[in-house]
Amino acid sequence: MNAVMISALYALVAIGFTLIFGVGGVLNLAHGASITIGAYAAYYVTSAFGLNVWFGAIGALVVPAAFSALLYAGVIRYVEDDPITVMIMTLVTSIAIEELVKVQFGTQSLAVPSLVSGQFHVLGGIQVNRVLVFALSWVLIGLLFAVVNYTRTGKAILATSMTAKGAALVGIESDRMYLYTWILAGAFAGLAGLFLASLRTADPVMGRTPLVLSFSIVVLGGIGSIRGSVIGAYIIGFLETFTQSYGSSSLTGLASLVVLVLILLVKPEGLFGREFTE
Amino acid sequence: MVNEDSQSGNSDCSGSESGEKRNIVSNLRRASDRRTVLKATGLAGLTATAGCLGGGSGSSGPSGTFKIGVLAPEPEKNPIGASIANSAKLARDELNENGGVLGNDVEVIVKDTKEKPGVGKDKYQDLTVGENVDFTAGVFTSEVQLALMDSIAEQETVHMDTGAATPEASTMVKDDYDKYKYFFRTGPVNSHFLGQNMVDFASQNFSEMGWDSVYVLVEDYAWTKPVQEVVKNKLSDQGVDVKNVKRYAASTEDFSTIYDKIENSGADAAYVAMAHTGTPAILQWAKQQRPFEFGGIHVPMQLPSYYSAVKGACRYAVTQNSATPTSEVTSKTVPYANAYKKNYEKFPVYTGYITYDAVHQYAQVAEDQDSRKADDIISGLEDSSFTGTAGTIRYYGKDEEYPHDVVYDKTGENGVQPLWLQWQEKSGSGSQVAIFPDDIATGSYKTPPWI
Repeated sequence: MNAVMISALYALVAIGFTLIFGVGGVLNLAHGASITIGAYAAYYVTSAFGLNVWFGAIGALVVPAAFSALLYAGVIRYVEDDPITVMIMTLVTSIAIEELVKVQFGTQSLAVPSLVSGQFHVLGGIQVNRVLVFALSWVLIGLLFAVVNYTRTGKAILATSMTAKGAALVGIESDRMYLYTWILAGAFAGLAGLFLASLRTADPVMGRTPLVLSFSIVVLGGIGSIRGSVIGAYIIGFLETFTQSYGSSSLTGLASLVVLVLILLVKPEGLFGREFTE
Repeated sequence: MVNEDSQSGNSDCSGSESGEKRNIVSNLRRASDRRTVLKATGLAGLTATAGCLGGGSGSSGPSGTFKIGVLAPEPEKNPIGASIANSAKLARDELNENGGVLGNDVEVIVKDTKEKPGVGKDKYQDLTVGENVDFTAGVFTSEVQLALMDSIAEQETVHMDTGAATPEASTMVKDDYDKYKYFFRTGPVNSHFLGQNMVDFASQNFSEMGWDSVYVLVEDYAWTKPVQEVVKNKLSDQGVDVKNVKRYAASTEDFSTIYDKIENSGADAAYVAMAHTGTPAILQWAKQQRPFEFGGIHVPMQLPSYYSAVKGACRYAVTQNSATPTSEVTSKTVPYANAYKKNYEKFPVYTGYITYDAVHQYAQVAEDQDSRKADDIISGLEDSSFTGTAGTIRYYGKDEEYPHDVVYDKTGENGVQPLWLQWQEKSGSGSQVAIFPDDIATGSYKTPPWI
């Protein structure tokens, strides 16, 4: 049960990561920072202003989306053709965010309220909050599917991911499409941050584990594939929970890395290959 | 004079260091191949180390301003580190108001260990070699404390540990007294005794609390190993049904699967030892309203402002602590906590009480011995019985099992005895209610309503 719930969250993070990579060809190591920003934005709204957690959710949606947009428009846009510079810039940004959060909020883990309280009295009791997080994650994933496949902008994003030149020929501004994917990815990661924080806690380095997991998930599912990311997230999520329940909790992080290495060696294109190939 | 000599020696040392740094930079700029750079860096490093290693404070002790070197983890951001740093400063101000130590002004120099052994070693070197301090105090993480042991021996400068609990440090004093005698632990009681205290608490309180069976949960850090050992060996002798003793990874963020196991075991309570990972654990316990009670050594819960930080999640949970702002462990406890709050706006955590005691005890011993020589101080500390804020501070002797560790005494008369508290809600806000030992208890244990 834990695995089903947590996997949906991982999918939320991984989709943003794969979107940016699939569409823009950019490896965004600052994706984890969006998670942290989302969680702390929600914390700030609920603690400093004393507002309801649903206002916190708005913060967790808007602030990371703005951060992500700014990072793309202000920095990455100018260096996106140089993968090494992109990696350095995004890595440095994520470390800087961690440090800024430490300075502003301290190193201790912080509590973000549950979206809803209470328990369902089935299967020995399940937190309503968990179920809601699970449901919301799926709603968001579904929405993204719909947007990408059925709206004009979504189709334009898809076109850009297939070939930026071709898209430009039919009048699609690829820069704008890249910006949209960054905003989407930031918002998704931010909400995932809020969900994670409401289930666990918010801490300055909370974005790291999901980022590393995203690597495994995205490689497993096939880089650039949304469907692959969802399935990859479930495989990794189950593997993680299984290791924790029946193995040792200290091996949890290792399991997904082993999968990453195996897939890279055996089936580097992942389970679903790359849907958006040039 | 000796001090002046050694200080000028130090300035030479740092001078040559910066000179070499400049050389490295210019080498880096000029170097056409990496080997040259590597060679240059290696050489510079070697000379710098050789230049700076020159041994300790010498035989006649420091003179001039009485300097205290303080090592604290992130004193700006972390309440544990802030309590160490601020309490040393508070003690400094009080000493200066009363004429200083042996007629000298007292100065406190704080360095950040960042909870990293390597950083801790560098900062220790800065304090002893660079600043020539009388003694050092602080250190929270056991891993950092252990990394410092050889440097402490080399510098022959007394170190008062006020946060790290690993007994490995005092075992080193036992194994090679002459080398490691400079190490003292003012508190907390070492983690062997932390475990013993958990057993003692269980034997005297569990039946009344209704904790007939427990699931022991310890985080995987150096300090919990002896705790785990003692609890594993002795807890079931107290008539407690120990369902399991689980050591979980330091990186654990999600406790769901662990809590499922506790639930399935049918244990009445989780009996824990947590410092670094405590907050996610307590939040998930409370939010998920797990059907078992929660208590043990939970370091974050010792923080007086914790209730608001976790929005009340710690309500009904129990933790051991050195002291609380309202508990009269000794006549000094409450006045210290209030003075701290007045100066720094918040109440301190346990490392604060201990650091404050360490500084005052050291100053007292220096006055009594009329000396600042390390050897005089060491024999003074070994004989000292000092009433601090956390209890009666005495140290185990050279021939005992844990030399230079603060004495644990379950009666609290001839040593320190940690207290136990439960977070309860009083008129809308959280309160650390002392529930044990009886002479300082201000309330009794309450079972969470969802159980």
